[in-house]
This record gives sequence, structure tokens and C-alpha cells, in this order.
Amino acid sequence: MSGAAARLAPVLSSLAAIAGALLVGGLFLEARGKDAVGGYRLMVERGLGSSFGLTEIAIKAAPLLLVGAGLLIALKAGVWNIGVDGQFLIGALAAGVVAPGLSGTLPNAAVLLLAALGGAVGGLAWATIPALLRVRFGLNEIITTLVMTSVAINLSAWLVKGPLKDPDVVPPQTRLLAKAERVPDIPGTEVHAGLIAGLVAVAGVAVLFGATVPGFRLWVLGQNPRAARHAGMDVGRLTAGALLASGALAGLAGANDVLGVRGLFQANWNPGYGLAGFALVYLARLRPLVVIPVAFFFSFLLLGGDLMSRARDVPTQFVEVLEGLMLVFFAVAVALERGRWPHRRRSAAVEGSPGPLPAQASGEAA
Amino acid sequence: MTDLPVADFLSALLGSGLLLAVPLLLAALGEAFAERAGLLNLGIEGMMLGGAFAGFAVALETGRIAAGVAAGAALGVALGSGFGLLTIWLRVDQVLTGLAITILGSGLTGFLYRDLYGGQNRPLPTTAARLDLPVLTDVPVVGRALFGQPLLVYLAWAAVPIAALVLGRTRFGLAVRAVGEAPFAADAAGIGVAQTRFAAILIGGAAAGLGGAFLAVVDVRTFTDNMTLGQGFLALALTMLGRWRPWRILAGALLFGMLRSLETGLPILGMDVRPEFVGMLPYLGLLAALVVLARRAAMPAALGVPYERGRR
Repeated sequence: MSGAAARLAPVLSSLAAIAGALLVGGLFLEARGKDAVGGYRLMVERGLGSSFGLTEIAIKAAPLLLVGAGLLIALKAGVWNIGVDGQFLIGALAAGVVAPGLSGTLPNAAVLLLAALGGAVGGLAWATIPALLRVRFGLNEIITTLVMTSVAINLSAWLVKGPLKDPDVVPPQTRLLAKAERVPDIPGTEVHAGLIAGLVAVAGVAVLFGATVPGFRLWVLGQNPRAARHAGMDVGRLTAGALLASGALAGLAGANDVLGVRGLFQANWNPGYGLAGFALVYLARLRPLVVIPVAFFFSFLLLGGDLMSRARDVPTQFVEVLEGLMLVFFAVAVALERGRWPHRRRSAAVEGSPGPLPAQASGEAA
Repeated sequence: MTDLPVADFLSALLGSGLLLAVPLLLAALGEAFAERAGLLNLGIEGMMLGGAFAGFAVALETGRIAAGVAAGAALGVALGSGFGLLTIWLRVDQVLTGLAITILGSGLTGFLYRDLYGGQNRPLPTTAARLDLPVLTDVPVVGRALFGQPLLVYLAWAAVPIAALVLGRTRFGLAVRAVGEAPFAADAAGIGVAQTRFAAILIGGAAAGLGGAFLAVVDVRTFTDNMTLGQGFLALALTMLGRWRPWRILAGALLFGMLRSLETGLPILGMDVRPEFVGMLPYLGLLAALVVLARRAAMPAALGVPYERGRR
């Protein structure tokens, strides 16, 4: 097989997965008596053919890029951060408390930067507990990050209904930031600057893994934890670092939504970017620069789901159905790819999956 | 009688705690089979949701609780076989497959609930029959709670010794443990690795679907969006906490059910605490218990590793 075909195969697998999901999703809609073709046309016409649509897509891409950047670091290092939703919520709450708390005392730009920092620190703090449990006690982070998300859902709801609630309004929420207090738009657009943070984050991950020693170490850890240990790397520290960085970026995504879009943190709000982030990073084959277009595509789907629910009476959960279908088809495509080109087996595994479960590594990390 | 609320409190705690424990217990017992065989199923959450919705829909249409419960288990088996096909036959990454099933379960149930039932809160017209054990139900405080439960609760309890027996004392249980610990050796000894793992994930799927159906049909008696609220993931944690042993899993599930029933129980004592605060405690307790009991737990050695003959 020629080199070009080998390079194209992963791209084709992901595209085939997307096409397959749209097809089966469309058939499902038709089977439920909905107009799938009309719905998809609406997605394209309103989503891509209007400045409203393009603006919305750009805005919705920012948290996906930030979450995706974080998941890239963790998954490339073979660390399973399944608790993105919890880190996101704590980061969002932190930003929603810091920004109104500081507003007026400092220039607005400084307030926003500190609030964003608060969000990142919140997410990082939330990832610290699973990181410690993994490194000190060998507890599998798949389980602990999931449990931490359940804690975060309850904790954030409790805090915003009680101690951190804005006393001047009835609904449980933090104080609403005025439009002028939120993240400013990129000049010439109606897209707030969070998008730049997202793009910088993904580019930063690309540089981290493409050109730095820590990135190389994380990559080795993801490929073969035993080799990393034998090469004298501090596996515990690398693992913790990957989890913390991943949590900080998830927290920053939470801050992005609060400071740039919603202006407040509300009880029982959870957009659930974690699972979407997983699907998106896998479809991008864990390649940082591919994450950017895939994130925009997912954002297009999210907007399309909103549009279809409003105009075509299609429940918004249709987007989740598409994401799930994409993952299934992607999994099948990767398996077929492996079967068809056996000599590429090794690299197919490299691109498609972040290596062995930490279960194997943790025993030795002891 | 100023101490009466305490008895009420204990009775309520026990009664609702036992109900809350059942879906977790079922799902975690099933996951014990899957993990012992080397399969980590992050799709439990989606399987439970699927079972909850299928159970609710069938029970609503047929008016029969038993039909709903059976439908939930059947859907769990179907999703389990999907997981098995992808991870065992195609050797797809287990975490990826599990998360895909969870997203699909959440998306499809939410979609269909809205599409078929308008997203309205539709309670089931019938209640699951309670099996009141005579005399025993008259025991003060614990009597009603322990011995006046729906039939399926007793069946879930009975599943514990059965699971322990099957895993520990039968040829099939030995095969399950063998393919999870040393698949190459098991294969060399003539045990069908793929078949055994497939059987284990079918058990896991059935149990998760049954747990979800119990939640929707017997306990809550309606369906709501994402009503499992992470219980599938919790079952994973309980499986690990119980170190894949049915009796320990039962202990964990009961403890967790009791802690969760504090949410409804504490107001009876006149304590004014926010439900979210109480809701957080079981999870923190779970983390603490994991640190104490499950640190450096010896996992099934081949957990998460696809088996391919001749490729070590």
C-alpha cells in the first residue's frame, strides 16, 4: 500500500463514521415520521448559510475546543479523564462567583482574567483528588473521576442554592454579569474571545506533543507505561500532570460558558460536554490539529439540533444519538482498517486508542 | 412518645434504602461477571437507561409490570451483545464502546420519551405486587421495610448467593475468571475465550437492563430523562469496591442505598438540610471507602485487554 493511502485511511474512517451516523440518524428520523432531509437541509441552510448560524457555531465551538484540548492531553498520555463534566461545573461555578465578586474593584479585563483563572483552578482542583488517589493509592481514575462528577453535580447545586446564591433574585444562580462585564467580542464579529482561548489551547497541545520534552514523555507514557518507567520517567508525576492539565482546561471551558455566554451559573445546569468531547477527540484520532475542524463540526451539529428542535419538532437529544452513532461507526471503521491492512496494525492502535487501561499500569506504579 | 420519629426515620431509611440499593446491586453483580471475564463496561449507564425506558414503555402499553421488567432485561441483553460484538469480535477499545453505548442510551431514550410520550410525566397505572411475608411484616420498625417489599427485591437478594455460587463454584465461573486473568492460558486449556466473555457480557447487560427496569417500573413508576443519574457509573465503583465478590457488592450497595435514603429520611427527624448536600455525602463516602478497601486492589489481570490468539 502506498504511503498516501496509508495516511488517508484514518481520515476516510472518520469521514465514513460521520456519514454513516448521519445516514442512520436520518433513517431513524424518517422511521419516527420526521422529515430528515428537510431537517438536514435546514441545518445546512440556517447553520452555514447565515451569519447568525456561523456566529453561533463559532461561539459553541469554544468550550468544545477547550474540553477537547484537555482530553487530548489526558488520552494521549493514557490517562482516562472521564470526569470532565465535574471539572467543568466546578470551573463554571468558580468563574461565576469570582467575576461578580471582583467586578468594580479592578478593570474589567483583569476581573475576567482572574475569573477565568478561577475557573481553571477550580477544574484543576477537582482533578487533583482523582490524581492523588491514582498516584498514592493506585485507584483507577476511570472510577474516581466519574464519582467526582457526581459529587460536583451535588456540590455545585448545593452551593448555588445556598451559600453562593445571589440573594437579590429568586432562582438559584450567581449574580448575572451585565453584557459589558462579559468577555468582549472579537473585533468585527459577534463571537466572544473565548474562541481564541480554545484555538490557542488546542494549538498549545499540538506544540506540547510535537516539540517539547514533557509532551514526548506523556506520549511515551501513553504508548507504554512500562517503557516510560524503565526510561527513568516519573510516571506518577506525569500521570498526575496530565490529569490536572486536563481538569484545568475543562474548568476553563466552564468559565468560558459563564463569562462569555450565559453571564451566570445556575443550579442544575450541565451541558455534558464530557461525552461529546470524548466522541470528538476520538473522531480526530487524537490529533490536536484535527480536533479543530471536528470541534467546529460538532458545534455545527449542536446548533443544528437546536434548529431542528425548534422548526421540525425533533427532540434535541437527536444530537446525542448522532454522537453515539458516530462513535460506534468509528469503532467499526477502525477495526476494519486494522483488519484490511495488517501491517499497519501497530500504528492504527496508536492513533485510535490511548493505549492500555491504567489498571495494568497502576499495579506497577505501586 | 417523643421518640416516635426515630422509629419512623429508621423504618423510612431502611424501606427506601433497600429499594434504592436494588438497581445498583443488580447492575454491579452483572458487572462483576463482565469484569471478572476481562470486560470493563462503561455502557452500564446507557444499558440501565435503555432498560428503564423499555420497561416503562412496555409496562405502560401492556399494563403488566412483569412484561416491562422482562423487556428491560431483554434490551439489556441486546445492548450487551452489541458491546460484545464490538469489543470481543472486532476488538474495539472497551472504554470507547462503553461510552458510545452510554451516549446512545441517553440520547435515544430522551428522544423517544419526548417523541412517544411528549416528555410528560406519565405515571404507570399499576403498582408492582408486594410480597408481604406474614408475621414477619409485623416486627416493629424493620418488619415492613424488610419483609413487605416487591417481589423483584427478593429476587435481587437471591441473585447474590447465586452469583457467588456460579462465579466461585461452577465450571462456568472458573472459565469466566480464567479468561479475565490469563486468557492465553485459558485458551490453551481449551476454554473458549470469546464465548465465555460473550456470556459474561450478556449477563452484565441483562442485569443492567433489569436494574434500570426496576428503577423505572417498580420503584419510581415512571420514566424521566436521564433518570439513572449516574447509577450505572456508580455500579462500576461498587463492583470495584466489592472487589468483584457478590457478598461484598451487596454490602456496598446496601450501604450506599441507606446513605442515599438519608435525603428523604433526615427531614423526618426534623433536620433541615439541603438535599443536594446530603446527596453529595454517599459519593464522598464511596471515595473514602475505595481508599480504605480497594486501594491497590488486584484487578483481573486482563481487564480491558482484547484477546487475539497468537498475539501476546
